[in-house]
Amino acid sequence: MDFTWSKEQTELLDAVQRFASQRLKANVIESDRNDCFNLEDWKACGQFGIQGLPAPVEYGGLGMDALTTVGALERLGYACKDNGLLFSINAHLWTVVMPLITAGTEQQKRKYLPGLCNGTLIGANAMSEPNSGSDAFSLSTTAQKAGAKYVLNGSKTFVTNGPVGDLFAVYATVDKSKGAHGVSGFLVERNTPGLVIARKLEKMGLRTSPMAELYLEDCEVPAENLLGTEGGGSFLFTRSMTWERGCILASAVGSMQRLLETCVRYANTRKQFGQPIGKFQHVAGKIVDMKLRLETCRLLLYRGAWLRTQGKSGFLEASLAKLHISDCWVKTCEDALQIHGGYGYMVEYEIERELRDALGSRLYSGTSEIQRNLIASLLGL
Amino acid sequence: MSEARPWIINPFDEIAIEEALRIRERGEAREVVGVTIAPSAAEEQIRAALAMGLDRALRVDDRRELDPYAVARILLAVVRQEKPDLVLMGKQAVDDDANQVGQMLAGLLNWPQATFVSKIEFLNGGQRAQCTRETDRGLEVIAVNLPAVVTTDLRLNEPRYVSLPGLMKARRRPIELLTCQQLAVEVQPRTTVAATSPAPRRSAGLKVESVEDLLVRLRQHEKVL
Repeated sequence: MDFTWSKEQTELLDAVQRFASQRLKANVIESDRNDCFNLEDWKACGQFGIQGLPAPVEYGGLGMDALTTVGALERLGYACKDNGLLFSINAHLWTVVMPLITAGTEQQKRKYLPGLCNGTLIGANAMSEPNSGSDAFSLSTTAQKAGAKYVLNGSKTFVTNGPVGDLFAVYATVDKSKGAHGVSGFLVERNTPGLVIARKLEKMGLRTSPMAELYLEDCEVPAENLLGTEGGGSFLFTRSMTWERGCILASAVGSMQRLLETCVRYANTRKQFGQPIGKFQHVAGKIVDMKLRLETCRLLLYRGAWLRTQGKSGFLEASLAKLHISDCWVKTCEDALQIHGGYGYMVEYEIERELRDALGSRLYSGTSEIQRNLIASLLGL
Repeated sequence: MSEARPWIINPFDEIAIEEALRIRERGEAREVVGVTIAPSAAEEQIRAALAMGLDRALRVDDRRELDPYAVARILLAVVRQEKPDLVLMGKQAVDDDANQVGQMLAGLLNWPQATFVSKIEFLNGGQRAQCTRETDRGLEVIAVNLPAVVTTDLRLNEPRYVSLPGLMKARRRPIELLTCQQLAVEVQPRTTVAATSPAPRRSAGLKVESVEDLLVRLRQHEKVL
């Protein structure tokens, strides 16, 4: 396999990087401090085409394959330090846009995809519940069919984009006794009576990505808003999770590239004991490790995405990428902080925030422990 | 991901492109044709301009360091071939800051010119253009008969940002190629650069205690008042 970008891909990736460095203007230190979602930057990304990267052209997307899409998201992560915004975009892409593309009806695609691609609609994912996280399909939210409607009841938590979302992918069971085979996906519009955004959640990192708890109280959803088939929710969710695990940390790889360059620059200019600190082996060694992590992460990311362009599921590779990149991102942030010494601990150097943002990556989209379970079972254990 | 600064369209020319597109979008022009004199390396910037909405793009293939008079003479040949009603261009390039091509082109064509323009409106069904010029004395409003050469200033508009779908579509559009030979124009540089040196570093300023102190310094020491 050859991971050289074509001329066309290079132009596209350069354009993404240029866009991010020129157009995404939010003060991330302030936004992080104030728990503020940067809607203007979200819209700019939509108008530019980010939210439509993997969507088919006929629904307002760019029709890019998985490899080009992760390449573009990597560049976005390199040039944009607003990890929360990028997390929101990823959640939107992999848990709403992608399931709609793969399982949506023609009518659903026509109705929602153009807005989801151009930044006017924000997608949110409602899967986790207070009592079901890693054991996702044991969820308790119910969907009862009543004529041409489903009536949803239950509560959801960790709903990324919940406070600002326009369209929610909500998972509920039509028959609890069927276990995972009862789980079904629904598209619920924000203004649907009975959909209550209960509480905004405050997080350690990714603070610019808004998250909420929500309740469904006799929330009536038209039957045509069933996403996929009744009972097909677990399959749908597993498939979108494979996409998410394989792609969500593309921007982390970009962030690791940026941190590496920042540290090389700092180690070459900061002088102690009469020489640049990069000449000290403890510092140089850390930077070498950062480079090694970056390259291994990039290979795992590209290989998983490449498999998908070959029509393979890449289930194992997505888990490997998720597990490895999340760990590496945290370690690289820690190293960057340590290399910068006391300055790295200061908010204005924007490394401590990166570390707080990175820590979430071991939890969302399946914890590192769950990834290990999945990989172990695929190895026959 | 090199940190080298990417090449860009001269910002004043980008404003000229944007204005031309707005004129067409208002239904006051039929076609917008972009022209650049550059080697093939400029194709990425030309594609960005096509993505903004140019109907056609011409590239006069030339990799020489051309002085303003040479540029104006090449553009003269292109204008004679294309016969536009209006030539819009940046007031100056931001690298050499010469600010001469628009004026020279108007002179060579014997067309009226409006330079440093921050507003354009068409009068008499498109026979005249009323242009607001940004001068040191304030805004000057003049009307010129068309065809004319108009050079654009910073406040004329804010160019649109090109989207990814626009860029992808522009990739497949042709860029028409011309040479000085085809245009039957022979240019020789009339200026030579004798030397280039970095700008002198500014020395540190001086803090004064009060307005009175400042006035004394300006009057007696600096003798500028």
